Amino acid sequence: MSTFNFARKEISFKIVYYGPALSGKTTSLRFIYGKLPEKVKGGFTSIATETERTLFFDFLPLELGSIKGFKIRLSLYTVPGQFIYKLTRKSVLRSTDGIIFVADSQRRKKEENIYSYNDMLENLDDFGESLDKIPLVFQYNKRDMEDIMSVEEMQEMLNKENKYPYFETVALQGIGVLEALKMMTKLVVSKI
Amino acid sequence: MQEDERLSKVQIVLTEEESNAINEMFGEYLADSEAKDIILLNKSGELIAKSGDITSDAAVMVSALAAGVFSATNELARLLGEKEFTITFHQGQETNIHISLITPTVLLAIIFDNRAPIGAIRFWAKKIGNSVKEIIKKAETRSKKQEAPKGIGQDIGNEIDNLF
Ligand SMILES: Nc1nc2c(ncn2[C@@H]2O[C@H](COP(=O)(O)OP(=O)(O)OP(=O)(O)O)[C@@H](O)[C@H]2O)c(=O)[nH]1
Ligand SMILES: [Mg+2]
Repeated sequence: MSTFNFARKEISFKIVYYGPALSGKTTSLRFIYGKLPEKVKGGFTSIATETERTLFFDFLPLELGSIKGFKIRLSLYTVPGQFIYKLTRKSVLRSTDGIIFVADSQRRKKEENIYSYNDMLENLDDFGESLDKIPLVFQYNKRDMEDIMSVEEMQEMLNKENKYPYFETVALQGIGVLEALKMMTKLVVSKI
Repeated sequence: MQEDERLSKVQIVLTEEESNAINEMFGEYLADSEAKDIILLNKSGELIAKSGDITSDAAVMVSALAAGVFSATNELARLLGEKEFTITFHQGQETNIHISLITPTVLLAIIFDNRAPIGAIRFWAKKIGNSVKEIIKKAETRSKKQEAPKGIGQDIGNEIDNLF
């Protein structure tokens, strides 16, 4: 839920990185954290297991520049992709303004991508939300790996009608990550 | 607006007067209750107002985590057949935090040091929550169309690149 604060001249948006386990959500957020200048970013909070798997969420607040006198704040979250954290994912997704779906391009991850996408739709539905109202952007991640699906296959799998913008990304090197976030920012800001 | 819609998607638009009123109210309560910090946030984890020594950066983090804890606790509630837990309380060696739902979308987090007895914490949480509730309710029901900064979403094209 976007929040206007006239006293502080701020608008805040919540953006959630969704997707299957190990697809590169935390890596994407870490890249953004490493890349952006000090004055823009707040602290990076990660609630993870000892093996670095997201347990609850990662959180990164950004305080961007202003548009028409209003400062734009983004709260970026990642969900835990592992199957067992279904309810946690749902709780992190609540009241989001936009979703960046990080898909794993590896061919053997096809079923997991589809499962995660449907899981997301179900959760939105439970909140009385849908992609008609909440902007979605895809990161087709791990484009550097072996045996990956082609972009056409990715589109066929998740974005058949080419309704949502997508970016080919390599989160580990940061390729495409900021571009996807900028697109998402554009979409949530244009919504108001 | 339907109740369901309110739960997940209400926008909160605080006017300058409302924001000042909340700050003033928090300032007074902070002194009276001997709380360390009072933080108002929404269910998305966004900071709405804060009072006390806590820095803005820390308050932003507390908001995200408090909303996360609250949201997760409520999935727990549903599993147990409870509609919603409206209060969560965490007690430490030095510090306690009391988080309560004051409207369908807004949470109040109050941080006390451990001298405060639990009864007093409950009392103040309720009192502060009730006072701030009136202002928030007005802000919640105000139409988004009327109050959103005009034209901000239009023609933003390249401006986004300059933001980062
Ligand atoms: N080769 C390659 N490896 C990547 C890429 N993105 C992420 N990884 C690696 O994939 C593994 C998992 O990445 P994470 O970012 O932790 O995955 P996650 O989506 O947060 O996973 P969960 O927290 O379990 O949901 C790590 O070892 C990353 O280094 C990429 O684009 N290319
Ligand atoms: Mg992760």
